[in-house]
Amino acid sequence: MDHLKLPVGRRTLIKGGAMLGAMQLASPFIVKALGDQPIKIGMVDPLTGSLSALAQSEVEGAKYAVAEVNKKNGILGRQVELLVEDSANDVGTGVQKTRKLIDRDHVDVIFGDVNSGIAYAIAQVTTEKKVFHIVPGGHTDPITGTNCKWNVFRICNTTSMDAAAITPELVKRFGKRWFFVTPDYAYGHTLQDAFVKNLKKAGGEYEGDMLPIAATEFSATLIKARAYKPNVLLNNMGGLAQIDCMKQFVQFGMAKDMALGGALFELESVKAVPKDAQAGWWDFEWWWDQPKVPEVGKFVADFRKAVGKTPSARHWFGYVAVNSVRLAADKAKSMEGPKLALAMEDMELPPDVALQPGKVFYRKGDHELMPNIFVGEVHPPQGNPDNIFTAAALVPGEQAAGTVEDTGCKMTPPPV
Amino acid sequence: MTVSFESRPMLDVILFNVTNGLIIGAFYVLMALGLSLILNLSNVINFAHGNFLAIGGYLAFVLVPVTGFWLALLISPIATAILGLAVERLMIRQVYRRDPVYSLLLTFGLAFIIQDMCRYIWGPNGLPLSVPDTIAAPISNEFFFITWYRIFMVVIVVVAVGGLFTFLRYTKVGVRIRAGTLDLETVSVLGVNVGFLRSFNFGLGCLLAGLAGVLAGGQIGLNPNMGDDLLMPSFIAIIVGGVGSLAGTLVGGLLIGVAAAVTTVFWPSGNEAVIYMIMAIVLIIRPRGLMGEEGMLT
Repeated sequence: MDHLKLPVGRRTLIKGGAMLGAMQLASPFIVKALGDQPIKIGMVDPLTGSLSALAQSEVEGAKYAVAEVNKKNGILGRQVELLVEDSANDVGTGVQKTRKLIDRDHVDVIFGDVNSGIAYAIAQVTTEKKVFHIVPGGHTDPITGTNCKWNVFRICNTTSMDAAAITPELVKRFGKRWFFVTPDYAYGHTLQDAFVKNLKKAGGEYEGDMLPIAATEFSATLIKARAYKPNVLLNNMGGLAQIDCMKQFVQFGMAKDMALGGALFELESVKAVPKDAQAGWWDFEWWWDQPKVPEVGKFVADFRKAVGKTPSARHWFGYVAVNSVRLAADKAKSMEGPKLALAMEDMELPPDVALQPGKVFYRKGDHELMPNIFVGEVHPPQGNPDNIFTAAALVPGEQAAGTVEDTGCKMTPPPV
Repeated sequence: MTVSFESRPMLDVILFNVTNGLIIGAFYVLMALGLSLILNLSNVINFAHGNFLAIGGYLAFVLVPVTGFWLALLISPIATAILGLAVERLMIRQVYRRDPVYSLLLTFGLAFIIQDMCRYIWGPNGLPLSVPDTIAAPISNEFFFITWYRIFMVVIVVVAVGGLFTFLRYTKVGVRIRAGTLDLETVSVLGVNVGFLRSFNFGLGCLLAGLAGVLAGGQIGLNPNMGDDLLMPSFIAIIVGGVGSLAGTLVGGLLIGVAAAVTTVFWPSGNEAVIYMIMAIVLIIRPRGLMGEEGMLT
């Protein structure tokens, strides 16, 4: 090779070099401009399908919190933008939407999903992409148990916590012979297993049916339940399926033969059933009527004014999710996933976010929030149309959860 | 999970579920007949049929406080039929002469539009549709799963099916619809107003969907997705019974209702899967369906 002939002249080359140098000097200003970009939170929830009412509430709670946070100068001085995607209650769609939020929209944080199976699946994606992930309302145990991840935190209880909290009350009040109506997916399986474990400890016996998640017809199962003559029928179905089951239970006049109960019967679902079906003993994961906690009264009044509804546990999940990111970012002074995760470990929620008595914190060992569990009776509205539950006891989350070893979680530290 | 009841012989549970399955099946029949009518005459696979059902239910929800349940049961299906006629005139009619895929895609999109419209107007939460107390209770303690409402539902289905069959057999329009099902082109050549026939038929199908919506609302309540869950069993009832045969649809609906209920006794999580299995078996052994005519599936 004799000479390398360049297509540009020497002067042009020098000018180009100078420009490149100038760009390097200017770059801090560009970085600063990026700092003005909003913080993006991606939320994947089943806005359509049988869990849509619960998902809508979580989104409303998150939106309310985002509006509040933005009014107070956002997170780390940056405004917050919530990007909501519909998982359509389908694992494949949920995973696809999560990848889209991370790869195309470049979100800093992922929230989701109400459906435990989807939450579990998208946790694999967020871990692979090293994105900070909060599961506001998917209950299946492995998410913060055997499959716990450094980047995944959960707000709602595990199914084991819910089962452990309500079982003694049901056994004490009604007896030890139970019939389960349970959805045939991740949440249902772990919930029923947890109930069976607690029931066996109490010396009880059981029978039950696992049904499709979006089942609408329960008469065949209820015929079996009645034949078994249980003390309690545990309706573990979720969303619309739970409502349909309750309606048929009442229509068949079964309330006089057996008690009704279970892990969750949420405000959204209770309001959708006839008065006769507003019954039984259940866990509530948060409750709006707590006269002894002044922060709750203010939150409920402000929320009603802004959203036009009484907040449910699902609203609270969304609210806590956004505020947890804010608190963790303030502590870490960063929005990087590993730093946020480190800041969240053992982080205690302040009273205006915890909105309940006692210490509420994210347990370091499994990244599970440790709130109180409200155990009590559902009844038709008393005065206020949303007053459909009376708490009989508050079970501390840590007591219901057992030890970290019990959960099977072997947490790896965040890669800071 | 195995079943091992000490307190009641297994046979009772099975027999109860056969009866229960006939009740469920009767409802599938009502839904499937409307779908079948539209499919047979116009070759339109109406994916929005379940959403017309939801509209029927929601209209009743709005009407019940004003008119009471009985009048709402009469008005809501008629209002649903009128809406169906408008949809047929404005949208479906445009694609009759095209490949059936066009109407399939059109009604598929329409289903999402109606579902989101219901969600926007009435919210994503379930809503209860009150039925009169007089028909809400079970007929006896022994037959607790047979409520007066379910009996009423079966009676309505029997009357509707009987009325439909009588209409199709003994009225001029009915006979033309049946003839059009076999050969619409010849019916058209004979001077019959095929456009009117199709519109009327679509409206009739929506009327049955609206009626099914009110009855379903009283049984399981209302939600924007309620039609989706009931649409697939209806399609399966048509395929099992045989496309082109209304009597086949009747048999198909009852068969899958009983199969789903009895399967729940032995394999609860498979009570939906079993109806798809039945469909697969029928398609393999007798592709035209149990009472269908050869060539109707092609």
